[in-house]
Amino acid sequence: MRKPPALIVVFGVSAALLAVLPIGYLVLRLFEGLDKALAELLRPRTLELLGNTILLVAAVSISALVLGFAQAWFTTRSNVKFASVFAVLAALPLAIPSYVMALGYISLFPTFSGFFASWLVLTLATSPYVFLGVTAALVRIDTASEEVARTLGLGRFQVLRRITWPQVRPAATAAVLLVALYVLSEFGAIALLRYDTFTRAIYNAYRGSFDRTSAAALALVLLAITLIVIWFERRYRGGYLANTKALGKRVRVDLGSWSWVAMAGLTLAALVSVGVPIFSLLVWSLQGSASLDLAMLLDALWGSVRLALISGLVIGVFATAVALWAVRYRTRLGVFVETVSWATHALPAVVVGLALVFFGANITPWIYQTTWMLVIAYMILFLPNALAAISTPIAQVPKDLEDVSQSLGVPANRTLFKVVLPIAFPGIIAGVGLVALTVLKELPATLLLRPTETNTLATRLWGATEDLAYSQAAPYALLLVIIAGLPALALNSQARKALSEVRG
Amino acid sequence: MATLNLRGLKKSFGDFEVLSGVNLVVEDQELVAVLGASGSGKSTLLRLIAGFEKPTAGTIELAGDEISSVNKVLVPEKRNIGIVPQDAALFPHLSVSQNIGFGLAGWSSKAKAARVTELLEIVELQEFADSSPDKLSGGQAQRVALARALAPRPAIVLMDEPFSALDAELRTRLRLDVKAILQKEGATAILVTHDQEEALSLADRVAVLRSGQIVQVGSPTEIYNSPVDIGIATFLGDSVLIDGEVKNGKVVTLLGALNPLNKVTEGQVGRVAIRGENFYLLPNPKGEGEVVGQVFFGHDAVVEVVTKGIKIRARSNGPFAPEVGMRVSVWVRGSVNFYPG
Repeated sequence: MRKPPALIVVFGVSAALLAVLPIGYLVLRLFEGLDKALAELLRPRTLELLGNTILLVAAVSISALVLGFAQAWFTTRSNVKFASVFAVLAALPLAIPSYVMALGYISLFPTFSGFFASWLVLTLATSPYVFLGVTAALVRIDTASEEVARTLGLGRFQVLRRITWPQVRPAATAAVLLVALYVLSEFGAIALLRYDTFTRAIYNAYRGSFDRTSAAALALVLLAITLIVIWFERRYRGGYLANTKALGKRVRVDLGSWSWVAMAGLTLAALVSVGVPIFSLLVWSLQGSASLDLAMLLDALWGSVRLALISGLVIGVFATAVALWAVRYRTRLGVFVETVSWATHALPAVVVGLALVFFGANITPWIYQTTWMLVIAYMILFLPNALAAISTPIAQVPKDLEDVSQSLGVPANRTLFKVVLPIAFPGIIAGVGLVALTVLKELPATLLLRPTETNTLATRLWGATEDLAYSQAAPYALLLVIIAGLPALALNSQARKALSEVRG
Repeated sequence: MATLNLRGLKKSFGDFEVLSGVNLVVEDQELVAVLGASGSGKSTLLRLIAGFEKPTAGTIELAGDEISSVNKVLVPEKRNIGIVPQDAALFPHLSVSQNIGFGLAGWSSKAKAARVTELLEIVELQEFADSSPDKLSGGQAQRVALARALAPRPAIVLMDEPFSALDAELRTRLRLDVKAILQKEGATAILVTHDQEEALSLADRVAVLRSGQIVQVGSPTEIYNSPVDIGIATFLGDSVLIDGEVKNGKVVTLLGALNPLNKVTEGQVGRVAIRGENFYLLPNPKGEGEVVGQVFFGHDAVVEVVTKGIKIRARSNGPFAPEVGMRVSVWVRGSVNFYPG
């Protein structure tokens, strides 16, 4: 086993430390003031929040599964017309941040709020995850096995239940757990639609009082729930026989006259998830166009882009170091560092933001309320995403090339820079781009940690909605969809793969 | 009574007619091979019989009952027909035993277990009973697929190119296995294939499917020795076509007067189809033929000879095959088929 260069070790260890220290500190602080924290938690209010949160998570998980599965089945397995158009429409909500979708609805229907509203918006926002996961699994099932089951005595629905579903279930389970994590961390949409869950309560507790114990205690409960779901998610993620196989042969089910019903349903889903919010934002933008403060918009745009670029590059460098260490050296420490870097995957941004507020105010006051604090927050939140994107191109560089390079007299560490990194570079840049686009859309951690003079598209949007000034918020929302949402969807390899396979 | 009876079966997809009037009878416990090139409509024929497609015209009868017609198609699950797809298509989430027992709903658990054990023995995969299908090799998976189809004792088993995904050696062995398994079960079966060797060696009868129609049905020897037209003659093995004319009951060709196998009329003009194994090559420095090519297979060889301006391909014993550049005399042994026109 070769030793990695010192540079990689330094960056890798810092990445891992940055990822876990603030959260660790939050936990530690709470345990110091355990009595007070317990007093905060043992109130009926906590139970109410718990009930609300679990109800929303469960309801959205079920409805996103039903909607995403139906979209996947009809576009890949039935002879419904324009299947590939409907597939693109089913994935399109990924381009719309959920708080933007919520804004679209509430600006059109001011009384649209509470559980039902949150449930609808989050179902529409998360069903693409199920759609993509289930599509990938469905296209890998050989329909011949379903036909065999028919000849062995099963009806059409029994085949769906006993043959199709068991093969799709692992992918669907993983997707639903992802949806559950999404809903647990969701802040913007839920706060806009005024439904009380942990994220909204944590944010309000933090904003509403000088004593931050209450916010921190609630954050810890949310963290605990999240960790439980993450534990399930890790168990169900990835490899299953149906997913590893090549594309199966597909015979599409002839829907006959039901084809029109299916098309109507798919169209309705596209209308409510994409059509209504975008229409609403367009109308409001046009209405407010006369009074639009262009200088303010450009300032926010610059603020967003600047943050996204800095964070993308910083996170890219750290992620590359960790990925190189774990993938190309595979020392025990390297693999450990990679595991630790993954630990923050899917943690709610509100929790991470709050942890950094504590950590920054008490341990590192010299960077508290600077841009760097925000960059660290983004790193904790998105290092796992960056690792996932960057590890693949680095792992794909053939080991033989390194051997050849060394046999030609180039030492191992220089081979890294002369051979491995140049070959993996396009993939690394794509990963950096994806992270930068995710940073553009980030709302809660930015709200909690931004320096007072820094404004982004997301924070301006948020500020306008707090004043119920929807016509002012709408252009920011549209801009976010155009510069962040759509490019992110275009770079999303899972979406690209699934959409190309629908046609097959 | 015939097990399966296809009458005037037609199937079109849009304007494209895949099957244009197929008639076929399969008797009880018979193995019929449907032989056709790719695109001849073989798979569509199986899908019609299994009930996945509705015929555009014609009917299908199984054990005396009409199961498919233009108006009514009995759903696949009520047909009592087993299928073995090209690549086995085992249920990946079930064990080998569960796969085999899948169609035995309604059987008592004791009867079911006994039947599964019986089939595991027949296909000789007892030790894989609890394995997952991804532990099986291609040939083993195909045997499980056959056992799964046979388990509910279907009226007929449909096999769609069941050996095409396997390598040559395995294919030959599995063919013999399948034949033995079908015989032990006393099953009636249709095998669809593009491989003439497979059809000829395995089936009780062969039905040749061409452009959506069955052009000839018969025992393997009938089909091979007496193809009804030139197309089948060239499709079944390497044939050379040579012009000839009937004179005095013989077909006069550039290679001599040959004995016709089929009935001929005096004065008819047409072509004879001569198979590679009908040629006999005699090395002869003064012979009229010249060897221009040779493909060596070990047990035999194909020798290309140009004689009297005609290029022929002769099968010859491997070790004694004449080599390129040698001069040979060419004889035609045995009788040949004559096709007027």
